Amino acid sequence: MTARFRATPYLFLLPAVALIGVFVVYPIVAVFYYSFTDYDIVRPPVWIGLDNFRKLLGDGTFWLALTHSFVYLLVTPTIIALSVCLAIVVNRKLRGIHIFRALYFVPAVSGSIAIGLAWRWLFDRNGIINGVLQTLGIIHTPIQWLAEPGLVLPIAMLLTIWAGIGYYSVIFLAGLQNIPEELYDAARIDGCSDFQKHWHVSLPGLRPQIVFVAVISSLAALKVFDEIFVLTARTGGILDSGVTMVFYLWKQAFTLQHAGYAAAIAIVLLAITLAFSIVNVRLLERREADR
Amino acid sequence: MHLKRTLTILAATILVVGCASSASPSPSSGPSAAPAASTPAASGSTAPAASAAATPLAADPAEAVIPNVESGAEIHFWTFYLSPTFDQYIKDTITRFEATYPGVKVDWEDHQATFQDDLKNAFAAGNAPDVINLSVSEGWVSDYAGKGLLLNLDDKVPQAVKDIYFPGLWKEQLVDGKNYQFPWYQGLSVELINKRLFEKAGLDPAAFPKTIDGIPALCQTLKDKASTVCDIRLTVNDLIAQMVYEGNVKPISADGKTFTFNSAEAVAWLQTYVDMVKAGTVDNTTLTTTDDRTGLLLFSAGQAPFYLTGPNLIRDVKSNNETLYNDLAVAMAPLGKSNVTGKGLMSISVKADTKFPNASMALAQFFTNPRSMVQFSQQVAIYPSSPKAFEDPFFSSPGTAIEDSARPLAKDIIATYADIVPTIPKKADVNEIVKKAVESALFNNVSAQDALNKAVQDANALLAG
Repeated sequence: MTARFRATPYLFLLPAVALIGVFVVYPIVAVFYYSFTDYDIVRPPVWIGLDNFRKLLGDGTFWLALTHSFVYLLVTPTIIALSVCLAIVVNRKLRGIHIFRALYFVPAVSGSIAIGLAWRWLFDRNGIINGVLQTLGIIHTPIQWLAEPGLVLPIAMLLTIWAGIGYYSVIFLAGLQNIPEELYDAARIDGCSDFQKHWHVSLPGLRPQIVFVAVISSLAALKVFDEIFVLTARTGGILDSGVTMVFYLWKQAFTLQHAGYAAAIAIVLLAITLAFSIVNVRLLERREADR
Repeated sequence: MHLKRTLTILAATILVVGCASSASPSPSSGPSAAPAASTPAASGSTAPAASAAATPLAADPAEAVIPNVESGAEIHFWTFYLSPTFDQYIKDTITRFEATYPGVKVDWEDHQATFQDDLKNAFAAGNAPDVINLSVSEGWVSDYAGKGLLLNLDDKVPQAVKDIYFPGLWKEQLVDGKNYQFPWYQGLSVELINKRLFEKAGLDPAAFPKTIDGIPALCQTLKDKASTVCDIRLTVNDLIAQMVYEGNVKPISADGKTFTFNSAEAVAWLQTYVDMVKAGTVDNTTLTTTDDRTGLLLFSAGQAPFYLTGPNLIRDVKSNNETLYNDLAVAMAPLGKSNVTGKGLMSISVKADTKFPNASMALAQFFTNPRSMVQFSQQVAIYPSSPKAFEDPFFSSPGTAIEDSARPLAKDIIATYADIVPTIPKKADVNEIVKKAVESALFNNVSAQDALNKAVQDANALLAG
């Protein structure tokens, strides 16, 4: 009876553990193993030790991809700032505010591929943006936006920011609604302006949400793929101008069939994101402790 | 506390990164994943129904040309992008095959956008199909054969059977001098022309350049007089082949140990494109895309003056833009400096370790024999791989539709098809190096000579390593 009682919780856990084991733990272990092999997916992997990692050191495209991924992190502070502002704006009792909140959330529930395609059409040679600019007489010849190496990454970042603001602002909105109204009343009595009120009350009150969004959005930025894949029509952009770590990983694995090398990139990405997350949280915790 | 939090972060990070690396979409899982350039007969999700539902042919013992077919064989056959448009044709042909080779059963599956991923996974899992429809134009045959995954047909297929096919097609895409495919349906490269834009530029579609040398001037005229740019696509997945066909470039030394694609011919080939980019006469996005559909969609939207594709895809223009279809002209694709019109499109290969090699070869041969091919050609604008098939009166009569206008010329054109590209070791990696060189010359102000010199140096280092 006792033994059966002890087994019961584990039996409940078993389906979830099995699923995580098969679909998460096993692939991660496999990626570790493949990173030490020469593996082209169709033939058995061959053990080559650290060769893939040595090759990474001298691979210019890998370093370019790494740089792009770090540049992509600029999305995080931007998206936090804009999401907080948007949350403050929609945190009012106005008529029809629910409609606005829902509209801002639409990109969050739209598929990233669909959004990417829509943006590709916007920036197409014959797209709306060129059309508007030509109509206004600002340009005479259409700009080939996505064929300009310097513009691919900024456009992808803009897309990520646009698509993410609605989602993150809902998190901040929930945070704002948990801040006691008395604190705002006290700030008002102390003579704070609207800006000071949000600076001294809203932002400190949103600290847990900011930590959460900073970690989640920076991890998302480091593993960005869909936007680049769709905007550059699978090429990564002219001169690899939009290639990020995960895109390069995908390209090595599925285009060039170097799955072993791709696994090594995945391991490096794992190490970077892990270190980044730890540093991120520690810094924010220290600042919290200092207050 | 800190340790607990750190472990939590570790677990969360592993989950996030693990998901990113294990669940990243495959190249063909995205919506823009229509197979680049290979233009299979029914590619595209909006492919209309075949032009005519053919009456099933009766079995003919004369079609049984492969000896010693294993009785009781059950073979698996994968095609690429043929369902549902050609379901009836495939099923009828399989029924006829099973009647011709009694005792053999065929299990057919059609794979589409995920074909390559499915096939690689199937090979990795040890359950790849026995008979596989592979694209020659995309280099799939040499990819898989180079890895030892396909059956060498040279010493297994009787000479009389080899002689059924155009010699250039039987020998296309040899790997170390050996053939691994039965040539299947072929395409013609044609330029689809938007007559309205040509008229606006004062150009006559009938005077479309016969060689690629005439393209830069044509694009300049179109830019100057019709304010449009040309939709030209580099074969980004196989730039060396494009160099060879268009520029008559010899990419590698005779012993296969040193790359030579920095020759004067190669530089001249690249400089042509560099000049067009600098002149602003081409769409840069289309020029470097891997997706054949990017340019075709632009053309279908009436935004490009011409586009190189297969006549089988004219129906895409028709379904997307009937007005443009009625304003369409077709010209044969201009010849490159090699004077070779092109290479084959689709083939059927047999898995190297199939349990039933004879039955598998029999099925591959059956689908590619003249009788099967004539029936297939009657349903869509594709062309047979054997001279005998062209003796059918169907091929001497031009159809009424514009996509059929090239039909009477098809035999003479396909007879000249040949794969003139030598075996390129580490082809995908070398192509990547060439792609970077081409892009740096086109868009980064590196001279064509310097870019190709660097590429040759890198490619030779790759070979040495």
